[in-house]
Amino acid sequence: MSAESVRPPDAFDRFGEELADRINPIVVKEVRQGLRTRVFWIFFSLMLVACLFISLFAFAASTGLADRTGQATFIAYFVCLGFVQFFVIPYVAYRSMAREAEDETWVLLTLTGIGPRRILAGKLGSSVLQGVLYSSAATPFLLFSYFLNGIDLPTIIVGVLVAMAYQVFLVSVSVSLATLAESRLVRSLLHFVLLGVLLQGLGFGITGAVLIGEFSQRLTSGSEFWLTSLVVLFGMVTTGLLLFEAAAARLSLPTEDYARGPRLVYGLQYLGALLFFVWGWKVSGSVDVLTAGSVVLSAWAALVGLFVASDRDGMARLHWVSGRRWSLLKPGGLRGYLLVVVLLLVATGSLAGLAMNEGSLAMGKMLVLLAAPGFALVMLSLPIVVTRWIPHPPWQTPAMIRIVFLGLLVLMTGVPPLIGEIVSEADDLFLNALNPIVGLVNIGRQGQAGLSFVLLAWGVGAGLAAAALISLRARDTQWLA
Amino acid sequence: MSSLLEVKGLSRYYGHLKAVDDINFSLAAGTILGFIGPNGAGKSTTMRIIATLDIPTSGEVLLDGKSLVERPDQARPMLGYMPDRYGTYDDMTVFEFLDFFARAYRLRGQERKNRVDSVMDFTGLLPLKDKLTSELSKGMKQRVALGRTLLHDPRLLILDEPADGLDPRARIELRELLRALAAQGKAVLISSHILTELSEICDTCAIIEQGHLLATGTVQEVLARTSNAAAFSEVELTLFAGPGVSLDEVGKRAERLLLEQALVSNVAVMNHTVRFRFELGPGQTPGPSWVEEASVRVLRALVAAEIPVATFRAREHDLEDAFMSVTKGRVA
Repeated sequence: MSAESVRPPDAFDRFGEELADRINPIVVKEVRQGLRTRVFWIFFSLMLVACLFISLFAFAASTGLADRTGQATFIAYFVCLGFVQFFVIPYVAYRSMAREAEDETWVLLTLTGIGPRRILAGKLGSSVLQGVLYSSAATPFLLFSYFLNGIDLPTIIVGVLVAMAYQVFLVSVSVSLATLAESRLVRSLLHFVLLGVLLQGLGFGITGAVLIGEFSQRLTSGSEFWLTSLVVLFGMVTTGLLLFEAAAARLSLPTEDYARGPRLVYGLQYLGALLFFVWGWKVSGSVDVLTAGSVVLSAWAALVGLFVASDRDGMARLHWVSGRRWSLLKPGGLRGYLLVVVLLLVATGSLAGLAMNEGSLAMGKMLVLLAAPGFALVMLSLPIVVTRWIPHPPWQTPAMIRIVFLGLLVLMTGVPPLIGEIVSEADDLFLNALNPIVGLVNIGRQGQAGLSFVLLAWGVGAGLAAAALISLRARDTQWLA
Repeated sequence: MSSLLEVKGLSRYYGHLKAVDDINFSLAAGTILGFIGPNGAGKSTTMRIIATLDIPTSGEVLLDGKSLVERPDQARPMLGYMPDRYGTYDDMTVFEFLDFFARAYRLRGQERKNRVDSVMDFTGLLPLKDKLTSELSKGMKQRVALGRTLLHDPRLLILDEPADGLDPRARIELRELLRALAAQGKAVLISSHILTELSEICDTCAIIEQGHLLATGTVQEVLARTSNAAAFSEVELTLFAGPGVSLDEVGKRAERLLLEQALVSNVAVMNHTVRFRFELGPGQTPGPSWVEEASVRVLRALVAAEIPVATFRAREHDLEDAFMSVTKGRVA
């Protein structure tokens, strides 16, 4: 044995060991596995070769200092990097997570005490590491585009950082989708959905890069730019977090509290979005922003809130003992439903209060602001009431509630205009009274006369909400007995 | 011996389906309990609840006196669970796989290295440490999976069908490993369809069907209980034909005589071997030693008829017979 092979570990070795000990073990595993795959080396080589060719071409095409070849070259490099960051890495993350679910290795991981959040964080972390590897290889080329003129250094740095954030978001989407893949049929279906989502994501990413390259210097001057940027960032971060928490909840064992994380993020996102709308109103000075806020938040309450309101029942008993009695973060459909309704009412109250205080909002828009939450209440409560009303157990599942929601949405938005087209007009006031899209547009058009339709939406919404609460309460009581 | 694991009134319902219904048993440290039952009997559900992967509808599971239903997080470090799937990563070496799980169990630095080495040594995986798990045989993969469950030195091992798909050599080796683990003081809960394996390895057993526990106790207790309760017993005797005596002739005489005896059925003669059954008729209840009494009666008749019997052997009642006598082949 050589003297070198038996040398005691030096400070650097010990630091490396300690670092590896502290890092999330999933990151260590994923990196070990990732570097062994052909996918990584093939795409890494392809990206480098493509960037090299682009550089040679750009260098040959560049005619001097006045030339703006840099901008086009930056976008070309970004397409290469974007394909890997926005398509390959999220797809690999999906496969990795789906395999954990298929082989049930995530159950074994959970038993080690590592927890679903750390498993997912490990997947995200290793994706970030891969992204950093790809980005660091592409960075010299991106800098080369700076020397070709037409693009400044801050734009390149912002582009790389936004790309990284966008990659994390897409990985969150992929990993979250992977946790849904329970049966072979669903897996095949999800595979196509994922490919579609990632291709679209890739399109958005590259379009974003083009916009950053094209308009960055002109846009950065106004406060609207920063508000828009922050809104996009807020939406991306909180939706990514929501997907992350939803995936963690899906991976949680029945012995764990799966409800707290998603509900907390949902609540924070909802209240954060409310604040952004208020800020948008202050910055723009337009009261219409408050109406837009009410419509967006109501739609969000119905679409995303339904997932919270149709929470699994029957797994929660363990967690009823701990925590505050009336905490809306506890598992179970009743608490989830109440949380969504409370947030909806808080948002409606705040926006309506501000609009009334301002006094300059047109009557039609004011009524839209007030009616939108009523429609949201109808859309949120009706699927729960319908499914609970049918006594067969398969109808009581969260998946069925969501399917019924989609069915009702199609029926309520599509059928009244069709009947209206035959008997009178497509946007008939009475036929579309509970149509969440045409009905809302009608209320906006009518002005003062739309008040009765607002009251109708709220009346029906309140009635359905009461029925939903009674059935959810009965379900909780039945389980706790 | 005090119990490490106590299962009390355990039930798990899925809607109206009673997967597990009011199960009670216990397991002491250093012993192996065989969990026997047909497919869909509720074995895996029970094991998943004990492994803290599911929660019961009612009942209690105590591990070292503490409820693992109430505090699964406190129980997990004390138990090792091996499901019926290996759960290995094909693109990792044996060492990398065990090292990864050791990290997941929060073993740090030298402690982790020592633990991984000791587990590889115990399971005989040291020579294969740099091999990809995808290149291993089923038996070796099973060892890797067993090694994973041992990394955090659990006191209770829950092994769901560990011998499934293994060749005879791998089964024998697995049996030796489990015996060694029990000798180290670990309690082992094991389910298997291969009942002869279980009878050789287990100290106690529990037979489950349709979510109900039908018999439980030490293997000897269950065998004694079920052999006395069994309605039939198989017997084999060999005939000896001396010089000048036709074996065919002796066989025919033996067959005729046996068919005349009470409780004897299914007589089959093959060369010098005669097989038959003592079987109780419908409505007859087995007495405490009815097989022995019937054996004595038949032997006397054979001797009296001067039929040359070389050996007479009632086949020993085993776990398979016990299983067949208490279960009815139903699933929940």
